[in-house]
Amino acid sequence: MAEPFSSTNTEPPAVEVVGLGKNYGPVKALDSVNLSIAQGGYTVLLGPSGGGKTTLLRLLGGFIRPTAGKILLHGRDVSGLPPNQRPTTMVFQSYALFPHMNVEKNVGYGLKIQKKTKTDIAASVERILSLVGLEGYNKRMPHELSGGQQQRVQLARSLVLERDILLLDEPLAALDAKLRKDMCIELKRIQEKIGITFVHVTHNQEEAMTIADRIAIIADGKIVEEGSPREIYERPQRKFTAAFVGENNLIEGKVINVNGDGLTMDAGFAELAAITKKQASVGSEIAISIRSELIRILDGNDGQAEGVQKIPATYLEEVYLGLTTMHLVRLPNGVEVAVRRISDDDADFGGTAGQEIIVGWNREDAGVHTD
Amino acid sequence: MQDGFMNIWLYRLGWTYVLFIVFLLLAPVLYIVYISFNEYTFGARIYEFTTDWYTLILADKILVASLKWTGFLAVGVMATAVPMGLLAAKFYKSTRHKVAFVTLMLSPLFVPADIMGSALLIYFKNINHAVEAFGAFLGVTWFHGFLQLGFTTALIGQIIYTVPYAFIVILITMSRYRDQQTEAARGCGANAWQAFWQVEFPQIKVGVFSSLAFVTILSFNEATRTALLKGGFDTFPNVLVSQMLNIGMSGESYAMAGIMAVVSMVFIGSIIIITLIRARGIERKFQPKAEPNPIN
Repeated sequence: MAEPFSSTNTEPPAVEVVGLGKNYGPVKALDSVNLSIAQGGYTVLLGPSGGGKTTLLRLLGGFIRPTAGKILLHGRDVSGLPPNQRPTTMVFQSYALFPHMNVEKNVGYGLKIQKKTKTDIAASVERILSLVGLEGYNKRMPHELSGGQQQRVQLARSLVLERDILLLDEPLAALDAKLRKDMCIELKRIQEKIGITFVHVTHNQEEAMTIADRIAIIADGKIVEEGSPREIYERPQRKFTAAFVGENNLIEGKVINVNGDGLTMDAGFAELAAITKKQASVGSEIAISIRSELIRILDGNDGQAEGVQKIPATYLEEVYLGLTTMHLVRLPNGVEVAVRRISDDDADFGGTAGQEIIVGWNREDAGVHTD
Repeated sequence: MQDGFMNIWLYRLGWTYVLFIVFLLLAPVLYIVYISFNEYTFGARIYEFTTDWYTLILADKILVASLKWTGFLAVGVMATAVPMGLLAAKFYKSTRHKVAFVTLMLSPLFVPADIMGSALLIYFKNINHAVEAFGAFLGVTWFHGFLQLGFTTALIGQIIYTVPYAFIVILITMSRYRDQQTEAARGCGANAWQAFWQVEFPQIKVGVFSSLAFVTILSFNEATRTALLKGGFDTFPNVLVSQMLNIGMSGESYAMAGIMAVVSMVFIGSIIIITLIRARGIERKFQPKAEPNPIN
């Protein structure tokens, strides 16, 4: 059974899945997944499209039936229960508002199902619309709202039910970049205010980094890695995570030496040393990853420092990205590597295509991936 | 003309062609209406305008009785074929084998009316014989005339004929409905029936009502299967056919045929126009607006 995701207390986790699988005919959308999510946190399921993250979310919501395994919500097995009998509610990517109901009726729909009085419904709707910043929109019809506003109404419709677990399926994917950023912060603010468990699916790593307390990387129907955003970004354990999150440069090779502090890898064109506590045997295939912002184009003085790994490379081109500028260089084995620098600090660098240069990084900045 | 490249005269020619075809299809119906206002009905050399045939309809006992039976059948068809079509359309959305399902659903339409009618006739007669024989074996008379030709058999024949149409009409509206709304309702605590009735049905009701209207008109127009399966009563189309084959249509029949033709066309035309307007409205509704009132 998986360790609770971010909890040290004795309460059962908000979400626990054990050996969860889902097949669509011969296709395994989810393959024996174990995951535990503590109460009251903001967890993001991050991964490439088709990786199984939405399938996992829909299984949690009860919209599809698992092929194998168990789903426990607050310690109770809900695997066979329909959505309306689970302590979950869901926010969908496509706004999924009821077009024949105004904002007030959309938001109060679940309360009406619960047979709450009209006065109670009106009061709850007012309170929740205020929370999502939509006061005064009660009588508007969904088609009179913008995408961002529709998504807020959807969020309000879920939050008003005061369920313990809110599932969000790519809720910001249909919004433009500016609105997505604003909504990310808004979602985080709301989650912190009401303190329930949010499980949010996205393929957008910036979105994940902005809102998550914990991130679970999902690919090929499996949980690849779990951790805090900082752990996932700065110290990815798996090669897949390093390749998927951030802008890591991966260099593959064979271990030729292992010592107490780390190991040395033969990359074919150079011997690269890395500091790691990971176990790797001599002769095994590994990869090291270095984030693009941690690689430097060295001049004569840089290279003299202790603990710096240096390798020769050929300069290719410069790509200006606003705040940062990316320099592409090619290593002797043909692998292209990205070097990212703050644009303001980059004004004096004048690399030309084909120029032979030296790139390097601090050895403790390199991650080692055995799988 | 949407791309702006099409020759304007070619475009107008296209419309002329469409209107010509429509006129060609409607001309016989308009001719019936024309005759129904003639004092001397069909075949006379003189045309004298009158509305007498219309006022005499209610005095024609055969015509009134046949209209009554036609009405009963139509109500029966509405009450059964439309719910069946709705269930089929719901199932269509959930099945992965959509082509096979549609082919099966529409298959009754590929069988000619007289063949379907005779097949059902034989089928019902055989069932009737078998059940009566079973009753005789048991020594009871309860099963006597179990499935004798009559209202029930005529109704079954019409249901088989109209269910595919009901299915298609509902499916057209239903295809615009987003299933995520049902999931959203379920997520809000609604059970399957509440989600259907409170969220899905209001959005597909135009299709359901169109389907009701459509099967009613189909039922009123159906003659061949009903003639073979009706037993001892007559429907309006059967009376018309019978008159035509034996003594020629009466003036009242022309008047009644004219009323039905015009009502059907107006009805169907209205349904098509309302459905198109609604469909465009729904498309517009699902187009989110650009942020008109930034909140932050």
